[in-house]
Amino acid sequence: MRNPLADVPVPILDDLIDDDYVRSLVVGVVGTLGALGLLGVAFPDSIAGDLAGIVFSTGTAASTARLAAPIVLAGLGGIFAEKSGVINIGLEGLLIISAFASVYIASVIGSGNALLGVPAIWVGFLAGIVASTLLAGVFAVVCIEFKADQIIAGLAVWLIALGLAPFMSTVFFGGVNTPNLGASVGWRYSAAMVVVATAASWWTLNRTAFGKHLRASGENPKALDTVGVSVSRVRYAGVLISGVLSGVGGSALALSIGQFVGSGETMVQGKGFIAIVAYLFGNYNPLGTLGAGVLFAGLDATQIRLQQLGYAIPDTLVQTIPYVVVIVVLALVGRTRIPAAAGDHYETEE
Amino acid sequence: MNPAVHLDGITKRFPGVVANDDVDLAIERGSVHALLGENGAGKTTLMNVLYGLYRPTEGRVVVDGEPRSFASPRDAIDAGIGMIHQHFMLVDPMTVWENVVLGNEPRTWGGLRVDEAAAREAVVELSDRYGFDVDPDARIEDVSVGVQQRVEILKALYRGAEVLIMDEPTAVLTPQEVEELYDVFEELTEQGKTIIFISHKLGEALSAADEITVLRDGVNVGTVAAGDVTREELAEMMVGREVLMEPATTPREPGNRVLEVTDLRVEDDRGVEAVSGISFELREGEVLGIAGVDGNGQLQLAEAITGMREPSAGSVEYLGESMAGVTRREHIDRGMAFVPEDRHERGLVMSYDLVQNGILGSQHDPPFAAGGRIDWEASAEHAESVIDAYDVRPPNADADAASFSGGNQQKFIVGREFERDPDLVVATHPTRGVDIGSTEFLHDRLLELRAEGKAILLVSSKLDEVQGLSDRLAVIHECEFTGVVDPATVTEEEIGLLMAGETLDDASVSGAAIHDAVDDGLAGSGESDGDADADATREPAADEEVDA
Repeated sequence: MRNPLADVPVPILDDLIDDDYVRSLVVGVVGTLGALGLLGVAFPDSIAGDLAGIVFSTGTAASTARLAAPIVLAGLGGIFAEKSGVINIGLEGLLIISAFASVYIASVIGSGNALLGVPAIWVGFLAGIVASTLLAGVFAVVCIEFKADQIIAGLAVWLIALGLAPFMSTVFFGGVNTPNLGASVGWRYSAAMVVVATAASWWTLNRTAFGKHLRASGENPKALDTVGVSVSRVRYAGVLISGVLSGVGGSALALSIGQFVGSGETMVQGKGFIAIVAYLFGNYNPLGTLGAGVLFAGLDATQIRLQQLGYAIPDTLVQTIPYVVVIVVLALVGRTRIPAAAGDHYETEE
Repeated sequence: MNPAVHLDGITKRFPGVVANDDVDLAIERGSVHALLGENGAGKTTLMNVLYGLYRPTEGRVVVDGEPRSFASPRDAIDAGIGMIHQHFMLVDPMTVWENVVLGNEPRTWGGLRVDEAAAREAVVELSDRYGFDVDPDARIEDVSVGVQQRVEILKALYRGAEVLIMDEPTAVLTPQEVEELYDVFEELTEQGKTIIFISHKLGEALSAADEITVLRDGVNVGTVAAGDVTREELAEMMVGREVLMEPATTPREPGNRVLEVTDLRVEDDRGVEAVSGISFELREGEVLGIAGVDGNGQLQLAEAITGMREPSAGSVEYLGESMAGVTRREHIDRGMAFVPEDRHERGLVMSYDLVQNGILGSQHDPPFAAGGRIDWEASAEHAESVIDAYDVRPPNADADAASFSGGNQQKFIVGREFERDPDLVVATHPTRGVDIGSTEFLHDRLLELRAEGKAILLVSSKLDEVQGLSDRLAVIHECEFTGVVDPATVTEEEIGLLMAGETLDDASVSGAAIHDAVDDGLAGSGESDGDADADATREPAADEEVDA
């Protein structure tokens, strides 16, 4: 059974995606948006018109970029970790810790100031990346060195961050929400980072020797070991990269509004988990992950705008869409292929 | 000219065991050298020393006239030694060329890009030079096992191997692929490469090797030219005494009926009928052999009889009682022993030691169960006695089952089941992957059980085994018995026809049908193409030979 979308001729895609399923995903998303645009132009007064107006407005683009950045970046990170054989379900925690750390460091420096010529907000951005990478490093040591269960360790990462970030906010700022910095990172930066990270990830995974090693490490680590490449090293690299990318995502999320919100499930609100959904939906392909991330974020942004226009759409239902989609995709389409050795510990001989 | 490899007085000791004892071995460049021996003779250990996985306790490795000391396989690879493991080290979803260059990828753009063109070209060039006919862009999961093996050879060649070590290379191949492998050997040696292969199969060593070195208990028994030696001589070198090629059965008057199977129908997991109306009876002191090509319903038949699978129709009557709805545990309690086909899946718990494995199925019963607890002392004693009686090596009851070689695992399972004091033994492929000496021993035990008046149902794909041991021989083909014959008078040709689904009445006898099946037919030497090691892919660690 061949997916008809896999055969829609779009020449450049064939060079980038050798996977029918991901190709269909990209063609499908672009096609739907195109159809919506045409409908909106044809019938400007219908709901299609409203929808098209929303979907193609700069405001929606901005909020989509803002919402998509943590999903796509953490999702890309998740690909690196899982391809190497370590399932990182702690992405949510990495986003939380970096969101808080970025705002905290930026506020310590003072939003108008600079450190070594770098504006405070960008120093904060870097700090968020460092915090996330450190936490990912702890996770890596626990999983690779001490062979802890990856799922439990990943949950611990999330729970630690979920408790730690609001707690520190209370300690330093007197409440779970930090005051607003009064400065922010524009959505165009987020969009640019997402695009660059996606392209760089795609290249790394598909064209470099390291990408091949990552894949081998997650599929058959023994094969990699016997040709003299250290499986541990590759796995550390995979997990640390997931920390770096999640850090970029978390910092971008918090700094795009200049504040860390620590109440409830924090401002991250499950985006780390949606990131996992996004890369599964995208079949471990960065382009697919980008597509899925933008789709989920776009749905969320559209839903918010529709509420504002008076359409009574239950937001909690819309927020379940990504999860429903992934269950349908995993159960019915069944094309997502999980690395064979993902979740398994590896021990070298002797 | 120096030999390609010279192992000079290699001794390798493990705590409590001498795996290799002062082994001298010189291997000529451009030759095929077979390292022959039984399970646990020290073949794999010796090769692991050569490949840098183990350091020798004494002695030295001389490659091309130069003494070498290998700290890791990396060093051995650098010295031009490549090893092809029994379980291939390939990444399934990656392509052939990606696998070949893995870890040594040619790079361009300052290392930022794998030079695919150069990699593919190198693979094609190597493949053409040795006539391998391998598509560099095929994915490993899409190609046959034979091609995968060639990819492994390409991997070694790509890394500059001059000497190729192959561990049981034919274990996973079909007979056609074995022939192709021999052609590959020829091609490689013509171009100056040297091949050492580990085997416990006599026929294979004789037909593929130029020289054969036999190891026994870690000692080099001798190196002979393949042309100057007979099967019998080789077998004697391996076992250390004369080998009886035929187990001796004596006719015996069967006693009371033990098992009666009537019009039994059984479905497999997919709901497809795997046994279509089979009836037979089995009496005390009788061996009923079931011959047939694997996968013709033997598995499901054995499962239905031993209570592991519910029949869809028909009945199984055991010791005069219907077994319908009787639990598996009750089957064991009523004295039914079962040697399962898949020893990893059903015979052993790989992560348990032999003490624990030894009481599987008897864990509820005295002397092992005492007051709701398990008597570990009695269990240990029991495991020791099985190990002792069935020559399981290394004789260490505290080691995990996974650490034993396939043949030794099998001996332990058979021992555990035979020692249950059963009334009925259902043994499926009891000697699969077991070496000659042990096979002979297991056959003798089986005949002893028969002499004690046990009923034995023996399923095997080794013709010589079922024919030699059975009182009656049933041949199964596509879920049905095509015939029940007297093994003493039936010819191999006739069995072959029955195995191919014909009946003897209307068949004109021609000999060609079964020559493949009975080729290499030394009594139970583990030579059938379905060597159980092939099923070990699910349990990668399980068949790593401890070889001590």
